[in-house]
Amino acid sequence: MTVPAYRTSAPLGEDVPLVVGLPSKGRLMEKAAALFAAGGHAVRRIGSDRGYRGTIEGLENVEVAFLSASEIARHLRNGKIDAGITGEDLLQETIPDWQSRIEILISLGFGHANVVVAVPESWLDCATMDDLEEIAEEHFQRHGRRLRVATKYLRLTRQFFANKGIAGYRTVLSSGATEGAPAAGTAEVIVDITSTGSTLRANHLKVLEDGIILRSQAVFAARLEKCGDPRMQILASTLKSALRNEQ
Amino acid sequence: MKSLHGTSAFPPPSASVFTRQEAEALQAQNERLLHLFRSRGFAPVNPPIMQPADVFLERSGEQIRARTFLFTDPDGLEELCLRPDLTVPICRLHLQQATDPTAEARYACIGPVFRYHARRDPRFPDEYRQAGVEWLGHAAEERIRADAEVLRLCIIALRRAGLSRFRLRLGDIGLMRALLDDIPMPQRWRKRLLMRFNRQKAFRHALMVMAGRAPDETNALADILEEITHLDPLDIEAAERLVMTRLKKMKAEILAGRSIGDIARRLLEKAEDAHLPPLSQEHVARIEALLAVEGTPQEVLAALRNLGKESDGHFAEAIRRLADFFSRLEDIFAAGECRFSAGFGRALEYYTGVVFSIEAEIGGEWLTVAGGGRYDDMLASLGGPRVPACGFGIHTERLLMATHDGGNG
Repeated sequence: MTVPAYRTSAPLGEDVPLVVGLPSKGRLMEKAAALFAAGGHAVRRIGSDRGYRGTIEGLENVEVAFLSASEIARHLRNGKIDAGITGEDLLQETIPDWQSRIEILISLGFGHANVVVAVPESWLDCATMDDLEEIAEEHFQRHGRRLRVATKYLRLTRQFFANKGIAGYRTVLSSGATEGAPAAGTAEVIVDITSTGSTLRANHLKVLEDGIILRSQAVFAARLEKCGDPRMQILASTLKSALRNEQ
Repeated sequence: MKSLHGTSAFPPPSASVFTRQEAEALQAQNERLLHLFRSRGFAPVNPPIMQPADVFLERSGEQIRARTFLFTDPDGLEELCLRPDLTVPICRLHLQQATDPTAEARYACIGPVFRYHARRDPRFPDEYRQAGVEWLGHAAEERIRADAEVLRLCIIALRRAGLSRFRLRLGDIGLMRALLDDIPMPQRWRKRLLMRFNRQKAFRHALMVMAGRAPDETNALADILEEITHLDPLDIEAAERLVMTRLKKMKAEILAGRSIGDIARRLLEKAEDAHLPPLSQEHVARIEALLAVEGTPQEVLAALRNLGKESDGHFAEAIRRLADFFSRLEDIFAAGECRFSAGFGRALEYYTGVVFSIEAEIGGEWLTVAGGGRYDDMLASLGGPRVPACGFGIHTERLLMATHDGGNG
């Protein structure tokens, strides 16, 4: 069994390794690895290709933990890692009051996607959040039930709906294939992430005009108290120069 | 009991924050509360702590859901919750057990309720004991007396527990309802405004749209509304045909809980709204003036009478009721700080008339220790008959903190 790189207790000394969470697979992993390599500090996995720990070339006392994007957000929240590359959507969803704990050091320019409110295309009378609120009220008065919003983004949904002054709905936690919820009859409305909108269209859903909750992309983010660490600065400038050279 | 809300060494959330002596003091305080309620004719009941989740989620909207502990039974079949308040469980118990659910019933209850705060601050526990009464089925014409008696009992309970300094905040949703009833507008506009009563920004936006001062900022529906406008507003069938034709062309089959008729009707209403005369300047001003009414009960009555002087309709009647309510509580108003705001509605969405909340100073901050009001729609919304109802709940842990907070009690 491999020992996870992330900490299980609070750091004690000055020379504790700085732990960086990087995506363990997929396009996010490839892009992140390519950026570090281009910046002159390649990421190395310890042990086999499958290993969950790594190092960064030319940087002493920095450890890499390979995690899923959502684990990176979660471990940033509880301090098991000090920095990481993940989606902005996951940071905002996972970390309560995220601005007070986390700083987004660099927006990486890939992994673009929007978190949006989408309703069935068949709702010809619904184009805005205002329409949605009225439909929600009518639904409640007519059927005695709240309109259901399927999503994995409970926090983002609640904040956005509250800012729009909408109260008469309920969320339904969805762990996968959210776009199928209206067809399956488990919800009427969805809040989901979309990059091209084609999945929504294929499921006969449309995005509300003022229903874009967040324009997200991949980011390099760190816990606030670690932002001043010299190693963090090197990591950030590595990524920055790699991004500059890309252009 | 100085350590009740010390700033250091917060216990983890949810855990009992009380020492043994504190727990005993809480127990003694709550036994006295229950004794008081019983002596006033409220019979103790103990509804289940686990409740079907739907009942709460459908009734209270997302703000409560965000604080409700939800889980499924071990078979994974039924969604359950830990009760976030006592009112709904008592009403459900009443509907299950009363031989005649419209007959008068007075209940008292003290027991744990659960609201997720995730704060390491004992003033915001995830689990606390609520004490309260619910008075169901009093005669409709006795409502004002019942409202006043319930508020009085709540204050007596707080005082007996040792609370000497508190702020009473009052509101009455009935005032806005009555004012809107007197102003000519489609019934759906009234509903639209009342649904937003608790949410200032949303209320004002809806009002401005009705006044023609904030036109729909989007043209996304212009095309279909243009077509609908040519139909007779009452010809729902023609509108349904139009909707059906469009949906066929789009191959959009998922209606997600709505019918063609729902969509067609709302399109007709939207088209009609755009052509109805906007709310007049004067009526908008009256609605806004009502929302701004704020002050002591005396000040408020004067302001309301000023506002309603020409009308002899629902609003005048609502003012008379409020004056009657106030007159029954003069001694209480004289004894402490009391503010009435016409725009005050409590966050729980089921209140229909008088609402109140009582705040006390705990750890240097004024926090709600009790709240209540009238909720005449509750039993009907649970599938029972329409029965007048009012009640209150006390946050007993906070009450104990407030009465042991130095300077008080």
